[in-house]
Amino acid sequence: MEELILQADHLVKNFGSFRVLDGISFSVPKGKIIGLLGPNGAGKTTTINILVGVTLQDGGTVKYFGKDFAKHRESCLQRINFTSSFNTLQGRISVAENLLVFARLYGVRNPQKKILELVRHFEIEDLLPHRFWDLSSGQKTRVNLVKSLINDPEIILMDEPTASLDPDIADKTLSLIEQLKKKRGLSLLYTSHNMQEITRICDEVIFLDAGKIVAHDTPLGLTKQVRVAQLQLAFEGSRETVERYLLSENQKFSFLHDYLVLIDTEEKLVPKIISQISEQGVEVTDIDIKKPTLEDIFLQIARGNYVS
Amino acid sequence: MSVKRIQAVILQELFITKRSLEVIMDLFFFSIMSVFVFGLVSSFLSKTMVAQSAYYLFLGMILWEVVRVTQYSISVGALWNVWSRNLSNMFITPLTLQEYLVAQMISGFVKAFVIFIIISVIAAAVFNFNVLSIGILNLALHFLNLTVFGWSIGIIILGFIFRFGTRIQALAWGLVFIFQPLTAAFFPLDILPSALQQFASLFPATHVFEAARANLTNPAVRWGEAGIALLENAAYLIFSLWFFGMMFRKSRESGQFAKMEG
Repeated sequence: MEELILQADHLVKNFGSFRVLDGISFSVPKGKIIGLLGPNGAGKTTTINILVGVTLQDGGTVKYFGKDFAKHRESCLQRINFTSSFNTLQGRISVAENLLVFARLYGVRNPQKKILELVRHFEIEDLLPHRFWDLSSGQKTRVNLVKSLINDPEIILMDEPTASLDPDIADKTLSLIEQLKKKRGLSLLYTSHNMQEITRICDEVIFLDAGKIVAHDTPLGLTKQVRVAQLQLAFEGSRETVERYLLSENQKFSFLHDYLVLIDTEEKLVPKIISQISEQGVEVTDIDIKKPTLEDIFLQIARGNYVS
Repeated sequence: MSVKRIQAVILQELFITKRSLEVIMDLFFFSIMSVFVFGLVSSFLSKTMVAQSAYYLFLGMILWEVVRVTQYSISVGALWNVWSRNLSNMFITPLTLQEYLVAQMISGFVKAFVIFIIISVIAAAVFNFNVLSIGILNLALHFLNLTVFGWSIGIIILGFIFRFGTRIQALAWGLVFIFQPLTAAFFPLDILPSALQQFASLFPATHVFEAARANLTNPAVRWGEAGIALLENAAYLIFSLWFFGMMFRKSRESGQFAKMEG
């Protein structure tokens, strides 16, 4: 049986008469990365804020390591950490001073050694004497990531951690996360708007919309739930013949050129369409099938078209 | 309660203080300028009027700085982290509310003590006014009572800031000055209208200032006033801690704490 690091059960949160979270439940097993996705206003940030204790829920419970977070706040927070592109460290003091303060808040043994080890890994040793508010947003994010690892957490809640990183550093960050997961069995709850990142690192994805979980599966499983595909065919022959056939089959299509048609269809109908167009005396010269991605799911949810 | 976490918050306070010109101006510069201005005014008054009135004013000013600096340190100490969007980060560590408040109270006490020493030395060296003339035990009691009063006001203001955010941050600098006339810091209590005198006696600092003025001519400890001030302070401190806890909870319930930023 999987060891659960985090369990959120029936979380409810209202702001005035507006229900932000409507009884959501999920868990984060040891060594797994769970992506929390959803359009703006879906309730992701409120969920994270409840999970780290800075916002109180109106209903439901949060457990870390099997312990009730409300009753064992200190011991739970000792073993977790958090990073967000929206929270920063103390701007007036240096990076080294900030990290030292957090190391001491977590009771890290030999804090100087731990800080050096982490800043070297993230290649930000040269930033240590600089004031935090003098750093670029990418540098701030890397310092935040160092802070999030300073207590050797068993789970990190990350709210868009790579939002302001250049592709190279973002890739290094993701590689580090993958390494930590592999070597130490680190668990993560991860929010991002970068679907490629989510597909790369997440074991499971939870889609929130209007305070409810509307989908929860592996990235692959989610894309399989969407059974539409986009088929692009290049052909030699009569455009009218192709058009007549597609109309007779009630397909949605558009011609990009007289020899190139784009068809939105069900995934299972793709072989039939290709074969029947060929049977009309039209030679298909190129085929491109675009399978649905997490981004398509995201767009369907955001536009209210998603049916699980 | 973890001593290490209390030390961590105090360490952060120390880092902020040494790197912030604003803190140095608000605390050290303001206090030093005040002692010079009040020292000169007192010198003038002592030559043209009753010397006693001048000493009341000067002693009141020196003691008032204890309340102001302690309160400022607690209220503005949190604002540095609010402005940096770092306050919620700190509470996502095992740091407890009690540890945070204890650290802020210690930091306020130390700042008030250092500034009190500096301005007392200036008063003695430049204006020939020795605060020790009221008696060391009196001075210690007055300092203690004024520090606790400053803590209470600071913690109540901090509660308002946690609950309502930076839109009421001006209270951190301004609200304490309401208590300057109400506690009769610079003049005898009987100068206040009689209705206000009753009201003023509800504040511990009023008893401290009255006792301190009396100590200028008689250094005997006025246990009655010191005792009332201590009792009132205990009540104020308990109320302020309860109030702050309630405001913090409401701030977390309303989502204000998570989105608090500068």
